[in-house]
Amino acid sequence: MTREQFIVRLLEVFNEDSADAFSAGLEKSWLEYEDKLYKDDEISRKNIARIIHMYLLKEKGISDIQDISKAGELRDLYDCRVCANHVAQVYLKGIMGAKELSVKGGFLWFDLDGLDDSDAIEDYLKRAVDTVCKAGNREE
Amino acid sequence: MNQDRPSKITDNRLRFDAFTGTEDALFPSKKIRLPAMGWNSWNAFGSGNTEELTKAMVDKIKELGLDEFGYKYVVLDDGCYRPERVNDHLESDPVKFPSGFKAMADYVHGAGLKFGMYNDIGEKLCSGAEVGIYKHEKIDCEDYIKWDIDFIKVDNCYYMWDNATFSNPENAVYSYAPNIRSICIAGKTYSAVSDAEITGTRASVKDDYVTFIGTFDGTAPDHSPVDIRSSELVFEVEADEPDIYELVVSYASGKEEGIGRWLQIAVNDEIVFDDMLPETESPETFMDSAPLKIRLNSGFNKIRLMNHRRQENTLCSYSEIRKELENFGQGRDIVFSICEWGKTQPQNWGHLVGDSWRILNDITFQVGSDGNPGTAAWEGDYTTAITSQYNKAVIMDEFAGLDKGWNDPDMLVIGMDGITETMCRSHMAMWCMMNSPLMLGMDLRRVNKGDWIYNLISNKDLIALDQDPLATQAKRIFTTYQCEDPSIEYIRDNNRVDVLAKPLDNGDIALAFFNLSTDEWKNKVSISAEKIISSIGSKMNSKAFKNASSYHVKDLFSKENIETSDKIFSIDSIEACGCKVYRITPVS
Repeated sequence: MTREQFIVRLLEVFNEDSADAFSAGLEKSWLEYEDKLYKDDEISRKNIARIIHMYLLKEKGISDIQDISKAGELRDLYDCRVCANHVAQVYLKGIMGAKELSVKGGFLWFDLDGLDDSDAIEDYLKRAVDTVCKAGNREE
Repeated sequence: MNQDRPSKITDNRLRFDAFTGTEDALFPSKKIRLPAMGWNSWNAFGSGNTEELTKAMVDKIKELGLDEFGYKYVVLDDGCYRPERVNDHLESDPVKFPSGFKAMADYVHGAGLKFGMYNDIGEKLCSGAEVGIYKHEKIDCEDYIKWDIDFIKVDNCYYMWDNATFSNPENAVYSYAPNIRSICIAGKTYSAVSDAEITGTRASVKDDYVTFIGTFDGTAPDHSPVDIRSSELVFEVEADEPDIYELVVSYASGKEEGIGRWLQIAVNDEIVFDDMLPETESPETFMDSAPLKIRLNSGFNKIRLMNHRRQENTLCSYSEIRKELENFGQGRDIVFSICEWGKTQPQNWGHLVGDSWRILNDITFQVGSDGNPGTAAWEGDYTTAITSQYNKAVIMDEFAGLDKGWNDPDMLVIGMDGITETMCRSHMAMWCMMNSPLMLGMDLRRVNKGDWIYNLISNKDLIALDQDPLATQAKRIFTTYQCEDPSIEYIRDNNRVDVLAKPLDNGDIALAFFNLSTDEWKNKVSISAEKIISSIGSKMNSKAFKNASSYHVKDLFSKENIETSDKIFSIDSIEACGCKVYRITPVS
């Protein structure tokens, strides 16, 4: 899935108008200019994490989890300092999972530059919607 | 450096052996300066900083009068560039900085402040934008000068010649020597295990060979910064007569942390080989190198097998940038802030090229955005905590100074969520005692004159410690943690109270008690004048302090003053994560 296709799907699952997605996202700072520039590139897991996290934060008012220490179990969490919080937030909120490297378990990593298939990405989007619904229910 | 492998080092001032040299400075123009003070966009806004937000910060600095306390540099961090070059030049992000960097600089300068920017010695910035300075040193530095920068912070992501944090792990080929089993000279074999000495603690023996010949990665808080941070394999070889001999090395190469392919050989401290060896089948399949002709003296000769390229390559990259800034800048005064996160032990070489050097990875990864202050922590297992940064910086005082530069435990996190006012007070006091750069990292629109954040960041008495003309980083002279030498022992157990002493230009002493624990400290801690003198006497007017008839003691938070003839300075308790900081004036 390309960055553009992902952004369009994100807006669709939240029943938002996807016609002018880039302008809206850049204006409200949940997208980066690179998303527009590289809109035809396959979207990596770290960019999915960033966009979902920032969209939920900026558009849906979903606050950050303050203590992200549990995400430290991801061996590659600190391999990208600009991604670390995005990854930690979607991981701890249960939107995106880890990958397990060791056969015996216990060696988790996020696979920052990995590419997921469409089914997996649809699952992330579904969980993002669930996160917003649950937050709404709690407020009510 | 413009090639596809580390450059040949032709200037011996860039070599490990010259790191401690005092003659023939690499950059004679490097100015003596106090730690920089200002505001940096990263902790406040992360990649989301914009022209509008930066202007708001400039306006707020002026409104609060923070520049009058010394906060003068306004630095744009990562996220401000268009993510690809245009005609090989850097450009501003067209959405975030539509007016461009020169217009931003003009705005900052128009307010009487100084303008700083950011780049990275690698191919990309940490954000992933493909505009790293590598191979663009000349063109970028020329642009930076056109944009009138006064400060540059240079990061270390995606660096080509290192395998550690934020780099390709297989780059270990450059940063470590191969495993070494033996050397052979004139037909005689010398075992790496039984006939050589391993210096430092990085390398170790495995089976019949020596491995991990290189330098510790200092990015994470796992290793002490003190003492030798790299290892060499040193042979002592006796020659009957001075002559040319053939040297063959039995080695096995790898491309993972601890095992590489780059080998340096020095004979009697002259580098005779500094290059990549052919790849072997595996890290445990040994082969002989091509014979190398070396000259030995009669008697004993020292042959060193090593790889200091982790440090030397990084130094070369930073030097290249500084050189070009000086070439184009024609005397322009630019603060050079090295941000390689302690990875290559910059406390050993940073003084050659920079004004300060980061000592660890970031103090927080939960940076803020517009409307979100971000989150910081008091303690944690990794670098992302105030105490993690402090615990390392506090034993690095001997690496810093006016003639060198400053240890940088990262930007201030005051004003972020996750930490209390008490923690912030200790944080500010720690940074001031340790002569750290004071770069504010908050959305200043949240600060108002008279509130606790304003009162803390404008505490003139604390800032005066950081900016004292004697410019001597405090030394830890006592800790309640059991250890032999508190000034150099790397302590990560926060259940303790530290006492730091800092000599000041007018003969005063700053004395700080820090409770690192999240529990209140309820026991008395006392420090005698004698203890202070024995610990930092060589850096202060110890006679006046020793012979004082009394002392004027000022609490730098409460501003309370007392006069005492007692030569013991004590505290009875300290709140959790709290501190007591005093300025002590000897009265004769």
